[in-house]
Amino acid sequence: MQKIIEKITKKKELGVFLMIIILSALITMVNSSFLTLDNIFDFLRSNATIGIMAFGMLPVLISGGIDLSCSSVISLCAVVAGYMMAGNSGMNPVLVVCLIMLLGGFMGLINGVIITKLKIPPIVTTLGTQTIILAGVLLYTNGMWISGLPQWFIDFGKFQLGSIESAGKLTGLSTQAILMFAAAFVTWLMLKYTLVGRGIYAIGGNRRSAMRIGYNVDRIEIFIYVYAGLMTGLAAIANISIVGQVDPNTYLNYEMDVISVVVLGGASVMGGVGNVFGTVLGVILMAVIKNGLVLARVPTYWQKVVMGLIILITISADVINRKREQAKLVRVDVEE
Amino acid sequence: MKILKDIRSKYPNEFVLFGIFVFLFVVMSILSPDKFLSITNLQTMLFQMPEFGLMALAMMIAVLTGGMNLSIITGSTLATIIAGFFMRTEFVQNNPALGTLLAVLMTIFIACMTGVLNGAIVAYIGVAPMLVTLGTKTLFEGLGLQFTKGSSVSGFPELFNKIGSGTLFGIPYTLIILIIFTVLSYFLFERSKWGMEVYMIGCNETATRFSGVNTKATLLKVYIYSGLMYGIAGILIASRYCSAKTDYGSSYLMQALTAVVLGGTSIAGGSGTVAGTILAVMIIQTVSTGFNIYGINRNIVNIITGVILIVVLAIRYLTQVVIDRKKIRERVSQSRKTA
Repeated sequence: MQKIIEKITKKKELGVFLMIIILSALITMVNSSFLTLDNIFDFLRSNATIGIMAFGMLPVLISGGIDLSCSSVISLCAVVAGYMMAGNSGMNPVLVVCLIMLLGGFMGLINGVIITKLKIPPIVTTLGTQTIILAGVLLYTNGMWISGLPQWFIDFGKFQLGSIESAGKLTGLSTQAILMFAAAFVTWLMLKYTLVGRGIYAIGGNRRSAMRIGYNVDRIEIFIYVYAGLMTGLAAIANISIVGQVDPNTYLNYEMDVISVVVLGGASVMGGVGNVFGTVLGVILMAVIKNGLVLARVPTYWQKVVMGLIILITISADVINRKREQAKLVRVDVEE
Repeated sequence: MKILKDIRSKYPNEFVLFGIFVFLFVVMSILSPDKFLSITNLQTMLFQMPEFGLMALAMMIAVLTGGMNLSIITGSTLATIIAGFFMRTEFVQNNPALGTLLAVLMTIFIACMTGVLNGAIVAYIGVAPMLVTLGTKTLFEGLGLQFTKGSSVSGFPELFNKIGSGTLFGIPYTLIILIIFTVLSYFLFERSKWGMEVYMIGCNETATRFSGVNTKATLLKVYIYSGLMYGIAGILIASRYCSAKTDYGSSYLMQALTAVVLGGTSIAGGSGTVAGTILAVMIIQTVSTGFNIYGINRNIVNIITGVILIVVLAIRYLTQVVIDRKKIRERVSQSRKTA
């Protein structure tokens, strides 16, 4: 029993987990409708976009890189999907999803090639592609909304798996939530059980050693950015299926939200650390904060202040914890 | 000619940047001499460049240590918003001269305090600068929104608005301010003990600490100096718009980072010059103003800024590869000769 407790307390995700529980308890005290199944399904649905993108961003951060261009890529994918489907009811749904994911993947390929072949740091490369892609999208669309998506797509977005009665309404798991869980599962499999996945951790831990072991570092890095692009394409589909129309401007600053979620979930921007379970907790924490602040009737303008404070506290606590652990390790070394 | 060669061998990067600037300026002038070279246009450029330049300096000092400061915009708007409320009080309306002075000092003080918050978390807790400033960016924006409820603060004394629009013998005050702080930054970064420590931290923080430098105090000062720079930039922006609002100058964040990187500062920290950053600011300003005159869409300007950023870095890397190969070949042939 003691061993189990010790194992749990040693987990890095414990802090985030406790934070979620404390916040949930606080919010439930203020507003009892927080912990209803209806609300939980609802916030899973509304945070699916950020969630799916987070699972694309996780491998990037683990490898020690960063992808700031995801907010522009999702805008591009959403706009292209909008033009493809608007007033065109005969499209094959599977084909649309595949094409959009491929488009995202292609943008990732460009990032990956620039980063690995021209040796420009990821943060600079993706900052550049972010500016270029978003400007291109706004130039083409003039910032106009695209509406008139076909009925099958709207239905696809409203689909619910199962029907459970909660708070007087029938609710079920939404398409977007299912897509998010699928993305989480695939990312988990990829990171844990494939050679590429282990290579990503190796690169993040120590690039040079990874190269010497025999990993093709360049190819793995390109794969990481392509994977992030694929996920961003999927997120674009999930997002426009919720809203029912496309607004190229809504995705501004999404990259900051996505990075905060992944970092809240325990991934380090220095690379080498992070896992899918932590990211799931990060997504839930962010969702609880956003949803809870609304339900607790916190005025809109305070919400950003609270968000900023929570991000600062969580990452600071994480670093302080890690330092304390390291200090302990050093002491053990000295005593032995 | 010899002087030119000397400068070129000593500052190759600045030389290239200056060449690009001159080239762009000449091209713009030839394409439309009556519009681009008009006094009003040159003055607009000179009025806009200082705030951008100061923001770039605020970003640069953080990048030199291997960090980054994403809170430069919201930190400056928070400071000007609070000072803006102060400037609407009866006291300031009755004593405009004293009030303006106090408001300027107040903006700088608050901006430095936001820098202290950033610096304290970065230096004493040890969180990665990008994350800290990501958090404080949201925090400052939220506070600013809370104070203004999303609208703007205006009704500043005439004297304050003069800062952004007044001229001394035809030279804008703002440009004089930029020149003063560029020179100050040059001496602080490249000619002082503290500056040396900043570059050392950017190269290797652990080694710097073990060689007896109080890295924590140095880092704290870095973010305070960054705060000073964006505070002054905020004053210029607020007095040019005659009001303060949370989203003023939001496009400067990415532009500032672009200018810093374009100016030759390594994003990993440890190298970069003030002159390079200011030259990059001049390049970007020329491109955006020039294109603005021809009525070219703002988005095309953004695309070109992004392309310039990537292409310049790619060229820098490729020339390095060529130079390295040349050296290797020389060494090989030399060793063959001796053998």
